[in-house]
Amino acid sequence: MKAQALLFVLLSIFLITACAREAGAPPGTAPATETTALPAETVTLRVINWNGYGSDESFVLEEFGKKLNVKIEHDYINSEEEILTKLRTSPATYDAILPNVAYLQIAMQEGLIEPIDTSRLQNWEKLLPRFRDLPGLRDASGAVYGVPWVWGATAIAYNTEKFPGGIQSIQALWDPANKGQVGIFDSFEDAVVFAGLALGDRTPYQPDDLQAVKQKLMELLDNVKTLWASEDEFNKLFANGDITLGNYWSGAAARAAKMGLPMAFVVPPEGALGWIDTWAIPKNAPHKDLAYQWLDYMISPEFYLTWDSVAGAPAPTTQASLDALPEDHFNRAVMGDPEVLARLVFMETMTPETREEWNRLWEEVKAGH
Amino acid sequence: MSRVTPALAYLYALLVLVFLYGPLIVMILMGLNRSPFYELPLQFDLVWFRKLATNERILNATRNSIVLAFGVSLLSTFIGTLAAWAMTRYRFQGRNLLQVLLIPPIAIPWLILAVALLLMFYWLKIPRSLFTLLVGHVGVALPYVILVMMTRFQGLDRTLEEAARSLGASPLVVFLRITLPLILPGLVASVMFTFAVSFDNFTLSHFLAPQGVSTLPVEIYTSIRKGFTPEINAISAIVFFFSAALVVLSSREIKFV
Amino acid sequence: MSPWRRSLALVALLAPAYGWLVFAVIAPLTIMLIFSFLNDVPIGERVVFFTFENYRDFFQHAFYWRLTAKSLLTGFYTTLLCLVLGYPMALVMAKVIPSHWRAALFMLVIVPFWSNTIVRLYSWAIVLRKGGVLDLLLQALGLSPGSLEILYTYRAILIGLVHGYLPYMVLTLYIALDRVDDSLLEAAASLGANAWQRFWRILFPLSIPGMISGSILIFIPVIGSFVEPRLLGGRAGTMIGTIIEDQFVQLFKWNFGATLSFLLLLIVLIFMLAFGLLLRRTRLLRGE
Repeated sequence: MKAQALLFVLLSIFLITACAREAGAPPGTAPATETTALPAETVTLRVINWNGYGSDESFVLEEFGKKLNVKIEHDYINSEEEILTKLRTSPATYDAILPNVAYLQIAMQEGLIEPIDTSRLQNWEKLLPRFRDLPGLRDASGAVYGVPWVWGATAIAYNTEKFPGGIQSIQALWDPANKGQVGIFDSFEDAVVFAGLALGDRTPYQPDDLQAVKQKLMELLDNVKTLWASEDEFNKLFANGDITLGNYWSGAAARAAKMGLPMAFVVPPEGALGWIDTWAIPKNAPHKDLAYQWLDYMISPEFYLTWDSVAGAPAPTTQASLDALPEDHFNRAVMGDPEVLARLVFMETMTPETREEWNRLWEEVKAGH
Repeated sequence: MSRVTPALAYLYALLVLVFLYGPLIVMILMGLNRSPFYELPLQFDLVWFRKLATNERILNATRNSIVLAFGVSLLSTFIGTLAAWAMTRYRFQGRNLLQVLLIPPIAIPWLILAVALLLMFYWLKIPRSLFTLLVGHVGVALPYVILVMMTRFQGLDRTLEEAARSLGASPLVVFLRITLPLILPGLVASVMFTFAVSFDNFTLSHFLAPQGVSTLPVEIYTSIRKGFTPEINAISAIVFFFSAALVVLSSREIKFV
Repeated sequence: MSPWRRSLALVALLAPAYGWLVFAVIAPLTIMLIFSFLNDVPIGERVVFFTFENYRDFFQHAFYWRLTAKSLLTGFYTTLLCLVLGYPMALVMAKVIPSHWRAALFMLVIVPFWSNTIVRLYSWAIVLRKGGVLDLLLQALGLSPGSLEILYTYRAILIGLVHGYLPYMVLTLYIALDRVDDSLLEAAASLGANAWQRFWRILFPLSIPGMISGSILIFIPVIGSFVEPRLLGGRAGTMIGTIIEDQFVQLFKWNFGATLSFLLLLIVLIFMLAFGLLLRRTRLLRGE
């Protein structure tokens, strides 16, 4: 009986202290040591990006943060769509965001981001012309809304022990010999584009025959072991022998190989999907000047090279970065090859109707299994 | 009953515990495995625990999660128990409706609730804060408490309470000495369920937490795209051992009548 | 108690919980219910109008019904498995083991769930995969030379779900069974009731509220689940829950996602209504 009374008292104390702590000192705010190290009026730069995607590396906080006496806070996302959700529901909150070019266009059309005065970016002129002059960065009047940061491909990664001769064609994903060993990215866009390319369509964003694409995807699913949704999942599947090949991201494949997995990456002759990630500034960003400095730093070769050496980065968008990489570096030897580049079909902005149509097609294919 | 039945009963309980704990043991072992990709066979290494020791983000997020889950479980158990008490002890109009209202929070995926709350707060011009986070977590935890506590209150023998009252015990004494011990298993279940509900909740925290505040599930879910390391297993193992120790200690104090 | 004081007490007891529920859950979900009848989400300068298009979409695509049926069936299997596995466990806890062990065992059942779903499911993947822990274990015991290859099948989804939801059944059943006074059982025994009769006539009827609460806490969330199917199901992992998730995460189709979840809710409510009526009838027939 005493014990129960004791417990009751303990629980009450817990409740009260828990509430008091939440009201008094929010537990989520930075630990005391951090807050005391900086003056009270320190500016906080708010960034939306993927977790572990370059901008939250500790050297960034060190170099950019300390130098300008800025606190950098990341809000992480799980899909491109979430960037838009965050901007729509928390206006005038964020200073810099990282959509890929296809989503940049949507953000622009919805008025969620601001045009960028490229003359304020010292590194703008260093960008490779094919990225700097990309139409996807601009609106109809030619104003620039996004700064190309890094780019890469979604092509085929395979196990070098299982395929000593390499992979010669995108059809390997459909090859019955590889049945039950294929991992496919669970994305309607990638699925439809890959099927289109495998059907010999060089403009998969304007499919010749969507029914044929559907048929091709149903055949693909017969070969598939599982659908993956994250880099983590793919690596674990691959490392444990559940899959030996699949469509995968170039940067992720490079990182996996660096971590010791027997993985090679190939852009097959039929082509593959290319993507470009860009930095943009949300409308009414609270710290616009700082955002410009951030963008400039992000596209600087110094940042890129440190990132690549520390963690491994996707392909760079500046000539200076490319030149500074070792000759045999994947991002230079493979991604830097103009022929590889020519084979890629870059992601396009899709209308909501097309997205819906493709998504439903992919859902239907998956539901059939 | 014969002697065979208890032996079989213990064996059965053991097997169920093996099923429940099996994956947990694997989880802990993978925190001690050198391979970042959970490869077998196991190669013992403390590297992930060492890395965890300096990983401020994960440690902070874990602390936030524990504090939040404590607050949520106690608050929701308290107000949920009051409601369950009213629902089982009183007959009143609209009681069925109140019971039906418990179903949507369980039936509608939390993801949708999280998006809806985000939008509602945006329209009401309430900025994201610890308050919005608590609102969401307690909201989804309440139906669990009410359902569990109603199960306990239903048919609870009231003669004891009445006897105590007729012997002159004050309502408070009746509650503390008679009712509370009787409903204790329900309270413990509620606190533990709601702790689990909050501690494992990703979607609500992801959408409702203020800038710069992270919880353990948010850290885990947002890092899987790029890959999380067994540091997550290491922190899970530590949380597990602490909670197991807490349970063992408290179970000596708690007696189910 | 005067009626006035009674109402006051009632309001005081109910207001905190239901006030909270209405503000935090019912109000936002009402917004979503309205969305399910709109063509778009009314933020920014989007033009919205009332439409049945989302509901029509569901009924026009047979694969949505198929997936809904699959999810309902999964909810049913999971609940049934939890009941079959959990009932004996609850019985053991409430009636067999010594009372000073009960609290400890009770809490031991839920402690594993103070962990993260993703981490737990990854652990299941390690256990169930070809050449994984389960295969190694069976080989070591000489029970199976090959591989069961459970991972990335429908069975893997069920295992993950049953594991995740079993405590809800065990504990709600325990809470119900534990109320049954042992003296009642002893009296029945002294009157010549055998073990089966004691169970069927005394324990079982009194455990029905626990079974109902447990089933609600399992069946309802399972039909909307998407994490377990995605991580363990492989090609078999497409369910109505994963489709709903896609509408919110991959697409900006909140309206259609809301439609799908409210249809699920409607089905759940119809089930519960039917079940409630059935229960009332059996009670009437039994003359209670």
